[in-house]
Amino acid sequence: MKKALIVLVLLAVIAAGAGWSLSAPTRMTEQQAAALKTGDPVKGELVFWAGGCASCHAAKDAKGEDLLNLGGGLRLETPFGVFVAPNISPSEADGIGAWSLTDFANAMTHGTSPDGANYYPAFPYSSYARMSVEDLGDLYAFFKTLPSVEGKAPGHELGFPFNIRRGLGLWKRLFLNPEPVIAAPVSGNEVDQVLWDRGRYLVEGPGHCGECHTARDIAGGLILSHWLGGAPAPTGEGRIPDITPVEGKFGSWSAADIAYYLESGFTPEYDSVGGEMVKVQENMARLPASDREAIAAYLKAIPVVAPTAN
Amino acid sequence: MRIVRNVAAIFMLAGLGFTGSVQAADDPIATRQAIMSSVGAAAGLGGGMMKGEVTFSPVAGKAAIATMNAAAASFGDFFPEGSDQGDTGALPAIWENADGFAAELAKFSAAAGKAMEASGKDGPADLDAFKAAMGPVFGTCKSCHETYRKKN
Repeated sequence: MKKALIVLVLLAVIAAGAGWSLSAPTRMTEQQAAALKTGDPVKGELVFWAGGCASCHAAKDAKGEDLLNLGGGLRLETPFGVFVAPNISPSEADGIGAWSLTDFANAMTHGTSPDGANYYPAFPYSSYARMSVEDLGDLYAFFKTLPSVEGKAPGHELGFPFNIRRGLGLWKRLFLNPEPVIAAPVSGNEVDQVLWDRGRYLVEGPGHCGECHTARDIAGGLILSHWLGGAPAPTGEGRIPDITPVEGKFGSWSAADIAYYLESGFTPEYDSVGGEMVKVQENMARLPASDREAIAAYLKAIPVVAPTAN
Repeated sequence: MRIVRNVAAIFMLAGLGFTGSVQAADDPIATRQAIMSSVGAAAGLGGGMMKGEVTFSPVAGKAAIATMNAAAASFGDFFPEGSDQGDTGALPAIWENADGFAAELAKFSAAAGKAMEASGKDGPADLDAFKAAMGPVFGTCKSCHETYRKKN
């Protein structure tokens, strides 16, 4: 009896130990970190718009120059609780001004803070994990040129168990994977491979389109077998549309229609973009036309997925 | 007898007409959707000309602009309290932030009114004049849809 108890206690200790080590925040390897170098802020600006940083980290209704003031404060009201976007301006006291390039890259690709805490995946690092070392270096250089904004944003409002950051280490083990989602263009399409690859990089990486356009499971992980198949809106009302080439729906948009929508905000039927997609579209409109064509080429040659129950 | 019948017919006609208008007032959702679909059609014509898919003509340009102008003048009248229920893409924010919604409508009608003035009696002279007039009207679509329309 006593022996059994000892065994049980030992097992519990082992399980707790395993849970603790499995939930440990990860970082880049030394080799990966050594490849980082501060890049070109002019190129970094394009990465900034592709990544949509301002859509969450600038003030709620910011337009124009105000999009460069990344003081945070936007509230994302989700089923898990309220996430409040933090200050990521170059303020040393309140923003990320004191971060090294390695700190920045670990946050972007591992969701790990400089002091080793896990970030919540409301910050879409599981997409940013696919970003290139060059883009991270350029983006870091661009961030350094932005205005410093004073004041910290309030903390998240989350209930148990979502308020335990350590637990996110386990989430990352399950869902953080820098590999591409779609291995190759769907056959039967005439594809410019270089253009398609660029589109895949933009959509799956910095553009983080899957974060809203893909349904999530109960643990909040993206269901990759339903990639871009549409999902209930993560905040507010309505549904985020399926952007796989489904016949009669998004599939009836030509590549030129998709590129024009991202540039102008008008659908082929001349309905206008709405909701959160307005900010996304305005970001995409700042990219070179070739990038919008690349996104369109990618979206035209990905698998159609079965609708999800939720 | 004939008079009576005629009078009855007139009352019936009037009654029908009356019923018809009651239905329109009773169904603001259908009315505003009809107005917005005319906006969509005008945007389709205007956008098609801007993209070069439809040949530009001053009279077509004016038709698109005048449609926008008429819609902007009437659209806002069909959002009575309670018409947030039913088959509608309208968000509760329209009623919760009535001033904000009114400001968006004012932007739409100001832009459409200016375009109407610029297009003159015969319509915009050429495609560039049309783009200059219609561009700002197009710009007001998404600034309203961003906050006041359901995502779809």
